[in-house]
Amino acid sequence: MPEGSTSGLSKQRQLTGALLEPFGAAAIDNRAAVLDAARQIPRTLADLAVPRPGGTSFRLTDHHVREALGPPDGVTPHTPFAWSARTARRALGLAGLRALATGAVRSPIDGVISAVDDAVRAAHRGENAASTMDRWLAGLPPAGRAAVQAGAVTWATRLWCALDWGAFEEPPTIGRDHWWDSPHSSLLALRSRAEVRSIARDPAGSPLSVHLVVLGGPRRTTIRSELSVAAMVEVLCSPRSLPPGRMVGWWPDSGHLVTLEIDQRALDDGVAAVARTLAHTGVTPADCGGAIRAAA
Amino acid sequence: MDLDGSVTALVHTPLMVLVAPRQEQGALWSPPPPNPGDGALVVSAGRPAATRLEAGRPAAARDEVLALLRDGSGQRPRFDPGLSGGLRAWLEDAAAELVARRGEDAPPLFLGPRLLWDESVAAADPVGTTTHPVGTATDHIGAAADPYPTEWVRSCLIRALFAQVVTTGQVENPLEDALDALRVDPGRSGMARHVDGMPDEARAALAASLRIHIENLMNLTPRFAAGWLPRTHDRVAIPLAGGRVVLNGVFDLLVGAPVPGRAALCALGLTTGGRWAQARTALHYLALLETLRSGTPPFRLALLHSAAGRYAVEDVLEEHLRTIVSHVVVRLSTLGAGDA
Repeated sequence: MPEGSTSGLSKQRQLTGALLEPFGAAAIDNRAAVLDAARQIPRTLADLAVPRPGGTSFRLTDHHVREALGPPDGVTPHTPFAWSARTARRALGLAGLRALATGAVRSPIDGVISAVDDAVRAAHRGENAASTMDRWLAGLPPAGRAAVQAGAVTWATRLWCALDWGAFEEPPTIGRDHWWDSPHSSLLALRSRAEVRSIARDPAGSPLSVHLVVLGGPRRTTIRSELSVAAMVEVLCSPRSLPPGRMVGWWPDSGHLVTLEIDQRALDDGVAAVARTLAHTGVTPADCGGAIRAAA
Repeated sequence: MDLDGSVTALVHTPLMVLVAPRQEQGALWSPPPPNPGDGALVVSAGRPAATRLEAGRPAAARDEVLALLRDGSGQRPRFDPGLSGGLRAWLEDAAAELVARRGEDAPPLFLGPRLLWDESVAAADPVGTTTHPVGTATDHIGAAADPYPTEWVRSCLIRALFAQVVTTGQVENPLEDALDALRVDPGRSGMARHVDGMPDEARAALAASLRIHIENLMNLTPRFAAGWLPRTHDRVAIPLAGGRVVLNGVFDLLVGAPVPGRAALCALGLTTGGRWAQARTALHYLALLETLRSGTPPFRLALLHSAAGRYAVEDVLEEHLRTIVSHVVVRLSTLGAGDA
């Protein structure tokens, strides 16, 4: 998996280039292999999703992969999810960037302010569409809300400044997570998270989707697995969207980036990562030997 | 200052020396004395400086700071594109030697600006500089004895208020506002509970102190238009030696949009009462980290002294970066197996 740092080149140019760079000839061969593999993966994944204690389903995200596959000393104690400036900044930042990209506002600050105002308004009106985050924001004192807003503005501004937005062939999709629900098992769903989605073309001129994932925390050995799971989900979702071609992970703190071209190997890694993650969380699959061996 | 082929700007603002705002020097206008417990401190949000000047009111210090940050902004210096790589190579060598001493399996070492001075100096001045207490061993000396030293608490509260000033331009009740900000940060909610549990007298003293700091900051902090892209608490973390050594820090405030090949960002740091020279060094350290992160140094630095109500502004020069790298290399050479 190619890695790099944006040092020495324009940060915008290098990250944008890594994301939008045209695909090589191998992408044409990959496309057929990937689509073929995609037909086999759902059955393999369903076999992994045996009933969990209590009959609960498993909704697997990159967070689970990171926790399961990371070194034991790097795992932080599990704490239940709660809204905070940290957990809200991405949602608000993305909403702000969407408004910015469509021209509805002229800066990340304006976009985030608009997103916060919309959230509070929805909560105060008691709209059904109001989310838990909206209600949490509406209940904060002004200074608490300002702190949340400040965090979201910083998050959004870093992403806004990191890309050359004029280089996109068509307006990118900003911050839409994809969930894949197993058609064979109601117990398993997988998420692909990407902050920016767009297209790049192969030598034949056919478009493939490309995905920028904003990463946090230190560089880690699990990153390929995290991106591979996301890539696999994109492949599984591809009948209703473009075939995926590339994932780019980017750490705003360091400017470091990693690129994962989506091919057969990436899909194998994705399946293996899911198997190991499920195994780590207490699921004992009846027959996932191949996948687990592949992950070992 | 646009010097194609040159790596160092020939013309720059004077060396960073503390400046008393003109209003203070000439006693032209002074804010009303603090009146703890009532009244909001409000900066006219988004109100252009020119309006105040036209109204016959002396320029606030924040206008002076803004003018200095803007000065020459149309002629941003170019830096040698190889500068960042050269600095990184220098640091990588030192980090590799440190890793060899500590062992490949040692946990990653996170090093903030406090790395730059001796521990004895850091202990005497635990929190007063631009260093953010990010919870690392080298950044939070004395934490074992007291998890919430007063100066550290004050520093965190002031920084929370600073972000609020930049974001909204107003502060209602400094202590309560700061605590509200800390409560939405999981990493700081314990500190908020600590302050909630302080005796009334200590709490009142803290509130009075905060009021003075924030009044100074309201006076010093420019009101940046949204187009300046102001962002607070921008964290930088530069991994060296494959991530076994991480140089990290947090910008209190960054403004400006990146311009390929040119230094375009301005960084504002905050010191809440520590030694001025250390605060300046810490800001240079952050400038180095930004150089390593983006390939280009910030254009200009401003340091705001919230206790004294004074400020300083200076350009980033290549010599600053080389000096800081030299300091870091020396300090890395003194660390060893016992440091974690």
